[in-house]
Amino acid sequence: MLEVSGLSAGYGDLIAVRDFSFSVNQGEILAILGANGAGKSSTLMALMGLVQQKSGSIKIESTDISQLSPEERIGHGISIVPEGRRIFTDLSVFENLIVGGHTVSKSQLAQGVEKVFGYFERLKERSDQLAGSLSGGEQQMLAMARALISEPKLLLVDELSLGLMPKIVDECYAVLKQLNKKGTAIILVEQNTERALAVADYVCILEAGNLGFTGSVADAQKNSNILHSFLGES
Amino acid sequence: MLYLELLIQGIVQGSIYALIALGLTLVYGLLRILHVAHAALFTLGGYIGVIVTNQSGSLVFAMFVAAILVGLVGMAIYKLAYEPLLNQPPFIALIASIALFIASEELFRIGFGPYGISYASQPLTGHLELFAGFRLKYAEILVIGMSIIILSILAYLSVNTRIGVAWRASVTDPSMARAFGVNIQNVRYMNFFIGSALAAIAGVLVALLNNFVEPTMGSVASYKALAIIVLGGLGNIRGTLLASMLLGVIEAFGTIYIGHLIDRDALAFGFLIIVLMIRPQGLLGVK
Repeated sequence: MLEVSGLSAGYGDLIAVRDFSFSVNQGEILAILGANGAGKSSTLMALMGLVQQKSGSIKIESTDISQLSPEERIGHGISIVPEGRRIFTDLSVFENLIVGGHTVSKSQLAQGVEKVFGYFERLKERSDQLAGSLSGGEQQMLAMARALISEPKLLLVDELSLGLMPKIVDECYAVLKQLNKKGTAIILVEQNTERALAVADYVCILEAGNLGFTGSVADAQKNSNILHSFLGES
Repeated sequence: MLYLELLIQGIVQGSIYALIALGLTLVYGLLRILHVAHAALFTLGGYIGVIVTNQSGSLVFAMFVAAILVGLVGMAIYKLAYEPLLNQPPFIALIASIALFIASEELFRIGFGPYGISYASQPLTGHLELFAGFRLKYAEILVIGMSIIILSILAYLSVNTRIGVAWRASVTDPSMARAFGVNIQNVRYMNFFIGSALAAIAGVLVALLNNFVEPTMGSVASYKALAIIVLGGLGNIRGTLLASMLLGVIEAFGTIYIGHLIDRDALAFGFLIIVLMIRPQGLLGVK
């Protein structure tokens, strides 16, 4: 599904992530963990083309998308729930979903909206409300719903649980699990290690932009030194 | 009766300001560039309006030609002047914009002469008597009518079409809009085309009201439009429209009641200073 090889990316002269290689198959969840500033979010933004890629290749179903602009990448079945939600606050909930489905046909958009309202019924009730006036949890739901309108094959999720009530986090994770069961590949960046490891199949741990560990979640949990040394977990 | 006349004059002037300042706020919202050269497009629109009307005899045709041509010039300014500077600090683009504006005044002098031009036969010179003693010039009715129609169409399109919604999303968060497939380059071109076409129409309408176009016609418009977009809240479209109308009305009343104390054109900045002392983010801006 996704093969990333030797990815280096950053901002101007600053390299945020170096020589990072990993892959994700259909129906798998990969968790990328690490301390603040480790390069987790920059990796996701580089996959979307929103952070400058310095070297390496990004292939989706064997097609190299490294040279494509961000607006072209969504056509290859990739979508993002960004850190800090970044919903369009001046637009209504429904208009945010329209932007999420900018590349799909009108009928697909209508189907997509029905589907995400099925996942998040609260958004349906607030369809005409300005997105900026939603609560933090509702904004996170909207960010997820917007990303799902185009029915991505690969979903990038950045800091889903940050600053949210546990109940809302549970709801969002429940949707991720449903998507995963249907075959959607997911890359999850999380500060909340426990949450991430509970749903992920594989884990990459980044340390100051470098890959510190990669393997199955079971391997990482078997060797408690790994989580302890990279993340300070016991 | 005097109050009503002043109010109508204020709305006429406010409509002109709205058409000019809207383009400026569109550019600021999307690129965070203070597009001072926008006022040169207003002057260019005035020139094209007068010349085409004199040649063809049709004001409507002249307005159409001015909007299209100036819209294209606006797109060219983005491509040639601003796009290469997008990765530079914003003041670099501001300097380029000021240079363009100054150069344009000289180009107008070279191209159209230093003394300005007028309509060979000024269109819409009559007036409509709404009730006893209260007259409205046809040109003023056209200004208000055009502004309402144009702004209503734009408002409708920005809310009820997918491209309009995508455009508004691009103004809020351009990189996130790109992530969802919005072609930001096309949005920028569209922005410059629409904003410049609006300035051109404003130029034609001012030329009609004054029956005169001159090379420095954009000077006052440039600083008034800047004051208006700051007043409304930088990048805020509704704020810009509100500030335009308020400024038009305040100028109309201010000229009569405090005109002996302060120049009409200085009122804009007096009003701006007072508002910013109370609301630093502008009338409808967000902190």
